[in-house]
Formats: sequence, C-alpha cells, structure tokens
Amino acid sequence: MHKLRTLTLVASMGLIAVIVASCGGSSTTGSTGPSGKIGLLLPESKTARYETKDRPLFTNKLKALCPNCTLLYNNANQDSSVQQTQAEAMLTNGVKVLVLDPVDGKSAAAIADKAKQQGVPVVSYDRLILNTANVNFYISFDNAKVGQLQGTSLLTALGSKTNPSIVMINGDPADNNAKLFKQGAHSVLDGKVQIKKEYDTPSWSPDKAHDEMAQALTALGNKVDGVYAANDGTGGGAISAMVSAGVNPLPPVTGQDAELAAIQRILAGQQYMTVYKAIVPEAEQAAQLAFDLLTSASASSMTNGKTTNNGTADVPSVLLNPVAVTKDNVKTTVVADGFWTKADICTGTYVAACTAAGIN
Amino acid sequence: MSTVADKPPALAEDEDQPGFALQAWRRLRQGELGPLPALLALALIWAAFQIANPNFLSPRNLSNLVSQTAAVGTISVGVVLVLLLGEIDLSVGQVSGLSAAVMTVLNVQHGIPGPVAIIAGIMTGALIGLLQGFWITRFGVPSFIVTLAGLIGWQGALLYVLGQTGTININDPVIIGLTGTFLSPVVGYGIGVLAVVVYAANLVIGQRRRRAAGLEAAPINRLAVRIGIVAAAILVAIGVLSADRGVPLAGLILVGFVVLFDLIVRRTTYGRHLFAVGGNAEAARRAGISVNTIRLSVFVLASTLAACGGILFASRLFAVNYSSGGGDVLIDAIAAAVIGGTSLFGGRGTVWSALLGAFVIQSIENGLDLIALPSTVKYMVTGAVMLFAVTLDAIARQGRQASGRA
Repeated sequence: MHKLRTLTLVASMGLIAVIVASCGGSSTTGSTGPSGKIGLLLPESKTARYETKDRPLFTNKLKALCPNCTLLYNNANQDSSVQQTQAEAMLTNGVKVLVLDPVDGKSAAAIADKAKQQGVPVVSYDRLILNTANVNFYISFDNAKVGQLQGTSLLTALGSKTNPSIVMINGDPADNNAKLFKQGAHSVLDGKVQIKKEYDTPSWSPDKAHDEMAQALTALGNKVDGVYAANDGTGGGAISAMVSAGVNPLPPVTGQDAELAAIQRILAGQQYMTVYKAIVPEAEQAAQLAFDLLTSASASSMTNGKTTNNGTADVPSVLLNPVAVTKDNVKTTVVADGFWTKADICTGTYVAACTAAGIN
Repeated sequence: MSTVADKPPALAEDEDQPGFALQAWRRLRQGELGPLPALLALALIWAAFQIANPNFLSPRNLSNLVSQTAAVGTISVGVVLVLLLGEIDLSVGQVSGLSAAVMTVLNVQHGIPGPVAIIAGIMTGALIGLLQGFWITRFGVPSFIVTLAGLIGWQGALLYVLGQTGTININDPVIIGLTGTFLSPVVGYGIGVLAVVVYAANLVIGQRRRRAAGLEAAPINRLAVRIGIVAAAILVAIGVLSADRGVPLAGLILVGFVVLFDLIVRRTTYGRHLFAVGGNAEAARRAGISVNTIRLSVFVLASTLAACGGILFASRLFAVNYSSGGGDVLIDAIAAAVIGGTSLFGGRGTVWSALLGAFVIQSIENGLDLIALPSTVKYMVTGAVMLFAVTLDAIARQGRQASGRA
C-alpha cells in the first residue's frame, strides 16, 4: 500500500512537470528582426467573439508583423481577480507589452499600475481601463456611438408611430461598455418614445433577458412597439419571450455583435438590426499597436490625435466606426467581409431567407 | 406502489392515526416542519408582489411563472435525490447546458429529427452521470470534488460542442413545442380529473388494505377531506392556467417528473434503500443494501434530470449559447431543494420540495422583474429567503435531536 502511494506521488509529480514544461512555451529564435513576449488577456469565453475572432486574428497579425515574437495568452472567464493573477504571471514571465481587455475596467487599473512599475506599456483593448494614468493606448469602437446607432435604427423602424412604447434591455451593470451603450441609446430615444420598462441584465444572460421581457409583456399586456436590446444574446432572449407570449407580428428588436444566430434571425425577419463591429480591424490594429510599442516606434499616427478620458487621464485612442446591419445590408457587410460566410448563415430553415436577401 | 404497511416508522404517515390535529402540532414541535417554511415564504412573497403590482396573480403571470419554473424545477428534482443521499452534485448546471448543446448541434447542424435529438441530449446526461457516479463509487473520491471537476470540465466540453459560432438558433417545432405548447382546456381538465381519480383510488385502496391487514386506518371522512383539498387545488390551478393560454406542457412535464420520482422514493424498495443510505450508509451496508449501486444510480438520475432541465431551458430560449447552464442555474437548483425543505445532511426530504422551492425562487425573480427592480435587490432577497428557510431547517433539526428523532 505504501509503495503504491509513493508510486502515485512520483507519477503525479512527473505529470505536473510535463504540464508545466509544455505550458512554458518555446520562443522560436530566428536570426533577424525584433523579438519579445507580448501578453494578450481577454475577459471571457462565453461570448463567441473572443475565442473565435479576437484571439486568432490578433495572433495571426502579430505573427505576420513579428515572426520572432511570442504571444502569451490567457482568458479570465469573467473573473476580475483571475485576470489580475494572469496579468501578474505574464509580467513575471517578462512580457514587453500587455494587451488587456479588462473584465472590470476599474479593478484593471491595478494591473496597469503594476505593469507601469515594471516598465511594461499597456494597450486597453475593446474595453477601457478606468482611473489610471498608466494606459498607453485604447483601441475600441466608439461605444456611445453604438448605443446611438441602435437607438436611431429603432426609431427608423418605429417610423411614424406616435409616442411608441418600448422596453429597454440593457447589458451587464458591471461592464463599462454596457453603461456607454445605455447612455448612447437614451440620448437618442428619450423624449421620442415612452420607455415603459427598463432592465439591466447581469452577465448579459439571454435567459435573464427572456425572463425580463416576459415580465415586461405581462405588466404591459403585450403592448410593446419596439425593444431596445443591448446585444444579440439579450435580443434573442427578448424575441423568444415575445414569441412564447404570442406577440404577433414581432416588433422591431435591436442587437449588437453580429452573432451568427442574430444574422439568421434578421434574415428570417425576427430581429430588426444588429451592430457589426468589424473585429478584424480592431484585433489587427491592436496587434499593430503592440508591435509598435515593442519596437518603440511611434504608434500615435494611428490615433489621429483622438483621446478618451478614463477618469484620470486622456488616453490616446483608436476609435473604429460601428455599422448598423439590417436585412438590407447583411450581404454588403458581414458577408462581404467574410465575417460569416454563406455556408455559415444559409443552413436549414434559413435557405429561403438567404435567397430572398440575395445571398447566394 | 405496493404495500404501505411495511414503511419504516420515521417515514410513516402519522396523520393516519387518531387525533390528527394534535399529532400535527406535536410533529411541528418536534421539528418535523416539512414544506411549511417554504409554503409560508411563498404566501408572503405572493402577497407582497400582488400589493406591489396587481398583475402578479393574473393568469398570464402565473402561467409565465409555471413556464419559468419548469426547467430549474426539473434540475432540482435530481438535486433532491442527491441530497437525500447526503451527497452533492455541483455539475448539474453545466450538464444541463452541455446536454442541450448536444441536442441542438445534432438537430441543427446534422439534421437529426427533433425527438431523436432530444433523446440523444438526455442520453448525454445519463452517460455523464454514469461516469461521475462510477468515479465517486469506484475510487471513493468525494462527490463534491468529482462534480466540481465536472462543473469546470463540462463547461469546456460545452464550448467545444458549440464550436466557432457561439449561439445556435433552434427552429425544430418538437423541441420548441416542449415549452411552447399549451394544452386546450378540455385536455387540461381531462388530465386534472384523471389525476384526481387516480389519487382518490390510490388512497381508498390503501385504506382498505390497511383495514384488511388489521392496521389502524383513517376514517373515510378524513380521506374525503384530503381528496377534496387535492382536487380543489388541481382544478383551481388548471382553471387559472386555462384562463390564459392553457396548461403549459412544460409545467406538466415538471409535475410529471415530481410525481414519478416522489412515488419511486416513497413507495418502492429502491426509494427506501435510498433513504437508508442517506441516513446512515454504514448501517445500510450492514443491512445488505448495495450502497454503491444506489449511489451510482442516483448520480445517473441527477445528471439525466439535469439534461431534461437543460433541454427545457433551450426550448424556452429557442437557442443554446456559451452561457447555457451557467450563471445561476446550479445555485437556483440547489437553493430550490433546500428552500423546499430537503435537508443538506441527507436522508430527510421529499421530491415535492424541488417543485415548491423552485416556485419560491422563481416567484422572487418573476415579481422583481415585473416591477423592474434592479438585480441588486433580486440577489439580496433570494439570499435572505434561502437563509430564512435553511435556518428553520437547522432549528428544526435541533428540535428533532431534543426529541430523539434525529
């Protein structure tokens, strides 16, 4: 028995050694060009974009710019203290540039400050790191503009209806971007529509959004002219709630992220619009910024002098333009960019809708 | 379903003895609270929300409430079984998400018909339960650890199964119909009347058997009162739901699971073995019960029920996504069982507590959404109700110990 236990112990130690060794990564030492470690920290894996778009796009662009660089990657799974640990591990591993998409903008200030102490520049990716002067660049979409775009589209869809009633389903109250979307939408909608019910949806949960919408419909006796949903997940939840409650025809519903499921719903006429944020330029320009910071080249040409105030400092910013996608321009935006292919979208019940929208 | 006479004394239905009211009071004093705290909480919650918003007790909202409760309640039935055993299953949330994802991917991406895909999803849950149960019984690793590993691991499997696209829409009429179907009043009342008849026949036959065996049996008028109460409750519920869109199929599925597992737990040898293992595993082993077989089977049942709950979630949302089965699903399922009166210490509780507790939790969420209060309040209220219910259970436990019944 004793021997067996020793054997198990030795075996598990060996296993751990193998795992640690394989995680250590091997930097390919080429002969020419700059080299160094760059850290990429993404916030969660439950939204499709981070693992399927941002990470591979960033990795490929960086590889093209700097074949000798090593990318260290980690995903915090929506836990800000996990992200802090991951960032500390990267700094310990000697990254030269940190590209950080914070779970929580405020607590990420601690990460930026620590990086600064070790002389590592920080790029705030997609979400802004708040209340610290130690952020070198911020790259994202103009998020207040996203909210405005959603609000304007909703007004267009509502057309000439007088004093329409809408329900607002906002995003996660802990997410700074969700706050910006909400503000942007209010700036357009307030005074033109009656906001009958408004919810913040913890963790952007589609199931929660479904419940919120079901309850709003109960309280309003199914009388809703339009739904502001902050992203495609919550929009999908709102739509399923309305279908279950027998709302017919469906009122216009907004969204964001151009998820495949949302593009399909738009073609099928269930969802009115989504906001397409071309992740390709965002991820690739972030890789470019990281590379410029690594090689000490001036990266400021990309910002055109734009800055964003994070509560403490004006952070030089690359702000990309979001695009509203409705049934009419699915073909010329997400399909034309290869964000989703015809093979992705036009499956099963959506074939007819694809043909109607001219995607073939 | 067989003999009522040979039940162990701790589980016997004491109200079948004279002096019913006195008996009931004595049991309360001794800490046999049963579903009382949950019923009390439910009444308070409903009253408070009805005052805050007159739509709360409307047929439409009660119908919503039933639909919303179905998924968590189904998962919670499995949790109750595990808790009766004195174990825990932390993986039910992720298993529900993964099983629903398997069903959806098979149906949408591989064109497998809805009913077959549903069965495949349920089988996924059963297989996971078999694996976890095997690990727990074969290697003696605590269920807390094995299912904690499951909680993390099956999340990864969910991301893998869903692949690159993230959210997948479901359009299959059979899958959507699980929660989107409402029974017509004729069918609804038909099922209700049938249920009452079966219940009444069961009681009367049970009483005849007891009398024939020379045991004490309740007088016929007390049986009539019990049947009357149950019949009224069932028919009022069906009446209210029929005033809206009809009895939701999802609600019927949940009640079906609850009744089925309640019968299994209370009326079969298997159920008695389950209680025995939960009460004292070593004593059960010495009595010749195959403890490991019972344990393994309960983990299979828990994961299978989790799969069924996950499929109901997906059916309601018309979609699965990366967050399916995550978030509050696990916490809600465990809290529902505990709020309903199932003890965390094993061997004590009923399957009905899953239904009752799920109703309590869902009523809070439903009501707070109806008046559109922020989620900060929602979490605090849910926490407070759970603490209240479990505290009562703990106090009751002291009462039981004092009276030598625990």
